[in-house]
Amino acid sequence: MGMKASPICADNSFPDKGKVKTGLRIALFFAVFPLLLALSLLLGPSGIGIPDMQSPSGSAILSLRFSRLLMGMMTGAALSASGVVFQALLRNPLAEPYVLGVSGGAGLGATLTILAGSGVLATLGLPVVAFVSAVLTLMVVYGIASQGSSGQPSVYSLILSGVIVSSICSSIVMFLVSTASVEGMHNVIWWMLGSLQPVTAGQQLLSAGLILAGLGGIWLLSPQLNALALGREMAHYQGLRADFVIVVGLLFATLLAATAVSLSGMIGFVGLIVPHVMRALFGPDHRKLVPLAALGGGTFLVLCDAVARTLLAPVEIPVGVVTALAGGPFFLIILQRRMKQAWIA
Amino acid sequence: MEQDALIFRNVSAGYKQRRVLNNVSFTVREGEFVSLIGPNGCGKSTLLKTAAALLKPLSGTVELFGRDVLHIRPAVRASLLGVVPQKIDSPMAFTVSQIVMNGRISSMGRWGTPSSVDHDLVERSMIYTDVLALRDRFFTELSGGEQQRVALAMVLAQEPKIIMLDESISHLDINHRQEVLQILMNLNREKRMTILLVSHDLTLSAGISDRFLLMEAGTLVKAGTPAEVLEPELLSRVYSCDLSVQQDPYTGYLQVSGAIDNLRRRRKLERSVHVIAGGGSGIELYRRLLIEGYEVTTGVLNRLDSDAEAARALNIPVVLEQPFSPVCADAMAKAMEMIKSADAVVLSQVPFGSGNLVNLELAEEALKRGKTVLLASGIGERDYTEGKAAVDFAARLKRAGALNWNSIHELMIQLQQP
Repeated sequence: MGMKASPICADNSFPDKGKVKTGLRIALFFAVFPLLLALSLLLGPSGIGIPDMQSPSGSAILSLRFSRLLMGMMTGAALSASGVVFQALLRNPLAEPYVLGVSGGAGLGATLTILAGSGVLATLGLPVVAFVSAVLTLMVVYGIASQGSSGQPSVYSLILSGVIVSSICSSIVMFLVSTASVEGMHNVIWWMLGSLQPVTAGQQLLSAGLILAGLGGIWLLSPQLNALALGREMAHYQGLRADFVIVVGLLFATLLAATAVSLSGMIGFVGLIVPHVMRALFGPDHRKLVPLAALGGGTFLVLCDAVARTLLAPVEIPVGVVTALAGGPFFLIILQRRMKQAWIA
Repeated sequence: MEQDALIFRNVSAGYKQRRVLNNVSFTVREGEFVSLIGPNGCGKSTLLKTAAALLKPLSGTVELFGRDVLHIRPAVRASLLGVVPQKIDSPMAFTVSQIVMNGRISSMGRWGTPSSVDHDLVERSMIYTDVLALRDRFFTELSGGEQQRVALAMVLAQEPKIIMLDESISHLDINHRQEVLQILMNLNREKRMTILLVSHDLTLSAGISDRFLLMEAGTLVKAGTPAEVLEPELLSRVYSCDLSVQQDPYTGYLQVSGAIDNLRRRRKLERSVHVIAGGGSGIELYRRLLIEGYEVTTGVLNRLDSDAEAARALNIPVVLEQPFSPVCADAMAKAMEMIKSADAVVLSQVPFGSGNLVNLELAEEALKRGKTVLLASGIGERDYTEGKAAVDFAARLKRAGALNWNSIHELMIQLQQP
């Protein structure tokens, strides 16, 4: 059609009701999430409220809480954005960083590194080792799933082989843990339970860089992710390098998930549920969804961590327990009411 | 001035284990309205996928406006060729206007921000296809026909020079089918858009197409004007059923109709056919004969043979012999009784060995009684008896008046003759 700019309907971008509502919701979100982050700074095992900034212990407490906030933001944003990408590329609401074995692979790599003992490799290299082992796992999963299909693996064979490889990885981790020294066992188990204990500054900086790179890459891909919602074939017809986008998207998502695992261990739930809730609240358009899911996932994890360290102080509950126990019912309610806005199946 | 929009040069294509297209060559000129027809599974969709570079040809080349389609940049290819698939589905809750905006994805900037031109094109495409009122509805909530129109709007927003539709209009109600065809014809006439329509409605296609491409089992059997391709005999062979073609006395359009009218009036034929089969060679015969309304009997078959299982499942009277045993006299006698009451005997493409060779005596008996006997041709390739006894026997039967059959369609015609 030689349709040039002659407007049929001059007023074709007038805001309709649905868009206004989504806009309001986004504005509300941007107003609320800084407050929630500020709230998390008030919570801690030493008491609720702003610590006495005059005393050295008070400022130390605040700086500790602040670095846990950073840890939580990084991990939560990475897991949640990674989940968004896995769900979009696999076009499946069950997809998440764990399902393709990516987290399992990263976890195995990280376990090996932790058991190998302290050293440069164990601290600075943990994100790199986790990423490399996650990518290797992804390649194995992709390779297995491609067998017998002509070229591209189907979503079902990807998920199936992902689940298999993932459980193999966790079996190996179990085996390593059971044969490790008491100290190594302790380290790995605590790491696996997931915790936002601040890691070294060097590792934080490296992880922050990797996560920012991953988030930026995914945001750049977001128009393509929208097109891929109609499937690889339709995206191809619309002039996308569909296979290229899928592979690059999987790599970015893997980078994010692996970095999150190397930072904070195996924290479940965030990568699966936060993307769903964000999609239900703000719609499936990835140009908005990717940044919103990153912020939402980060904020959610920071809050959960604040609760985890405060509730039974001085005992600290593993944050993964809180994400599922506290977040589960809350998100279930949102999803019940707004699932139609996210997925229709 | 008119250039070639799409050229297939000796293209074979398919999947790892299975070749679907076999040496297909044709040309579609710019501005043509072409219908691609053929039975289910003949390779029409594969042809479209190959044309759109989704499948790489195993051999041969596909050219789009003079350039090898594999060497055209994807974004450029999308501006030349749009495909409306049989069905699209979006698992996520995108609205109709978000879906249609996907058609602009290759033309939009890096950040995927639509310009006012993009908005206008999307809007106009939605108006054309009558989906503007649905713009804020969720795509997945729509009916199949509405989804098809949204898919068409999306591809129109892509502004391609060729549109290929893969049975995309089959889900539409009669009003919207006419409308969509009208849109396609207008685009074709006014914008010189080239249309390749995969269609099962031959009559409808005959009215609107410049040319037909007829496919059968992965090959192109005929290309030409509707009148050239819509030959009753050719169509009947390709679709393996009885089809007739009439010209509408008022409009001059060709109308293709099947034998369904006769079916409705058909009563039981009161004619019985005995099938000599084995090893699965009888199943399709049983099916077709029963559909046509014949009484069917069969035998002698060995128990556990797949034909024996099929006969039991279809309630066909059957004479059975023990598994893996030669046919004995007792069973032969029962089968002879069946022959007496049959009007015709059909021999399937069953392989012959020493065990079942005696089944041919049933055919001989039928001939003696003056009944029609039809033998599947090519018995030589299936004769595993010593000294080619079955071939000799068949030759003897033919001298006594037995006829050959090649295809089931042909067999059905032969059976109808008194």
